[in-house]
Amino acid sequence: MKSIKALLMFLFVFVATMAATVSASDIFFNSKWTLWENADILIWTNDKELAIDPREFCLSLRRNNMAIGEPKCRTLGEWERDTIAARYANWLSNNIEPGLSSNYLKARHPSMSAKIQELEDKIVLYIADKGNVLQIAIFDETSSEPRAAGTVQKKADKIALGDDIASTFFDRKTSRRLSKEERQKKLTEPDEYYKEVPNVRAWGGFSVGYAQAQVPLTPYNWYHRHVESEIRNYRITRDSVSLWNFIDDSTPLFTLYAGAIWYGFIGGEIFYRYSNHVVKTDKRDTIYNELDHWEFGQHEIGLNVMFSTTFSPIKLMDIHLFGFLGFQYSFYSEDIAVKKDVEYPSKAYKARIKFEDVYKGALFGGGSQFVFAKHYGFSIRTGISSRGKSVYTEPSPDAGVEPTIIGAMTVDWFINFGLEYHWDL
Amino acid sequence: MWKFLVSICFALACILSGCSQTYQWSKKHPYYKQAPYGELAIAGVQNAFVLTRSGWFAKRLNVSPDSIQIVGTQFCAQSMLNEMKGAYSKLNILPENALADSPEESQKLDDRIFMRGKLPEQGVSIKDSAGNIPPRILIIHEVIVGTDLNRESFFDYAVIHNESPERTAAKNISAIVSYTLWDNEKQRPLFSAVDEIQHPVLVMTWADMETLIRLAVSEIRKNLYLGAK
Repeated sequence: MKSIKALLMFLFVFVATMAATVSASDIFFNSKWTLWENADILIWTNDKELAIDPREFCLSLRRNNMAIGEPKCRTLGEWERDTIAARYANWLSNNIEPGLSSNYLKARHPSMSAKIQELEDKIVLYIADKGNVLQIAIFDETSSEPRAAGTVQKKADKIALGDDIASTFFDRKTSRRLSKEERQKKLTEPDEYYKEVPNVRAWGGFSVGYAQAQVPLTPYNWYHRHVESEIRNYRITRDSVSLWNFIDDSTPLFTLYAGAIWYGFIGGEIFYRYSNHVVKTDKRDTIYNELDHWEFGQHEIGLNVMFSTTFSPIKLMDIHLFGFLGFQYSFYSEDIAVKKDVEYPSKAYKARIKFEDVYKGALFGGGSQFVFAKHYGFSIRTGISSRGKSVYTEPSPDAGVEPTIIGAMTVDWFINFGLEYHWDL
Repeated sequence: MWKFLVSICFALACILSGCSQTYQWSKKHPYYKQAPYGELAIAGVQNAFVLTRSGWFAKRLNVSPDSIQIVGTQFCAQSMLNEMKGAYSKLNILPENALADSPEESQKLDDRIFMRGKLPEQGVSIKDSAGNIPPRILIIHEVIVGTDLNRESFFDYAVIHNESPERTAAKNISAIVSYTLWDNEKQRPLFSAVDEIQHPVLVMTWADMETLIRLAVSEIRKNLYLGAK
């Protein structure tokens, strides 16, 4: 029985204290103003009697916020005697209401805003007695609007009231006050947002993706001649303009790459891409009975120019959107073998199709890098790449009668997802 | 197909050159919840009116060009006060010098729209001639009366200094009214707006002028009501 009573008592006290802490204070807005170490706090009121004791308030501040050092508190007599300031104080006590942002509480009179601008590192704590609550507003020299406003429940005990105000409005990180020289120096420092863009950001990464001849959102009949084509007799197809007439176009794609961006804007990337393409032999052709496997490894190296822009939606993540444009060289390594029991491959096997040694192509596209904690990123890229004529053929007067080059128009679409590591240099 | 392309190009050019600009012509305070009803104080009407194209008005209204500015604006001010009296049963007309000591300030309605006018100081309540403090005051800052006027050309700072086009035959007489509903107890603007009123006119008479002012007053009342919603 006793224990139940004690429990009930405890619950009652708990609920009462909860209710008290909830209703004790209300913050209407509180912007990022700076609380200085060893702050100078000027207490400004229009009331006949100040609701708190400045000396006790200083002690409340020290009790509440150890980092504040040794604050100095005094009443702001020069404003209390000034007509314009007194009018504004009167107006503030009429207008500090929930739901009004700071710009509705701006000091309109030029001489009032001049007074606020002259504060120089001092913090003005405005207090107005509204009977059951105290209205609080905080001013510093950076703005003619209050930086914070709210109310605290009024109490007869001035010390407890001071504690309430200190815990509601002054419970924040403090900054060391700058000396005159430091202040001068800070004025000539570049903008912090300017500094946040590193001169060079570099990264290296590995990505896995997929490539196919058909570009999404384009009609299939642009590609079906190439994609559905098959090789008869080791070399015969309907046409040979694209390599996709001979080899399978839709394959996994692996990329190794490294790049860098200067000033968050322009950059470059070098890459190596690999994919494996099986040759599309006509299954009805009996000549392939001797064949064990036939495929081409596609090796590409290239260089991209990138243009980038950066967003930082949350503190720990940067999003770099970019577009890229580049060129690449493609090499095809053939892997072919006949079955073990075939001693002499057919004539057609020996006279089979040969690709060029090297193709030169271009690629373009875009993507995004998501970088966490400045270092760990993942990325998505998509684009279109092409492989064209060999660059090493000399132009000749007989160009018109030369046979067409196999795969002079080999285009595909790719998408890949990568893991990256980033450095700021 | 070509027509479609041309219209797309036109739309793009329009967006780029900014001819599809839309403006926000009024601004309300979060605590403006109820439009004035029955009781209202009004200030600034006596000095608010400005007549443009006074020669045009003088010729059509048979008034000498020297006195049209005075006669015209007095007539307009009086019709506005009469109209307001009909609209608010307890209309309290503040004396001409009620706002004389107040500073002139600009209020931002939109990115490019700023309206200037005298507003009472923070912490100072305006008193009427009997010494009472009216709770709300409709302050008429300026009424520009003319022919075929657009409010953009007076209040959008980006086009204020543009040359006006050559005058053609007037189709409408127009009034541009800028006003603020002022909370005199808490000294804050409750609702500020710039309204444009056009009234088509064939033969200009004093009755047309009166109609224009009547339309202006009903527009103000409508906006005060819509603003409070």
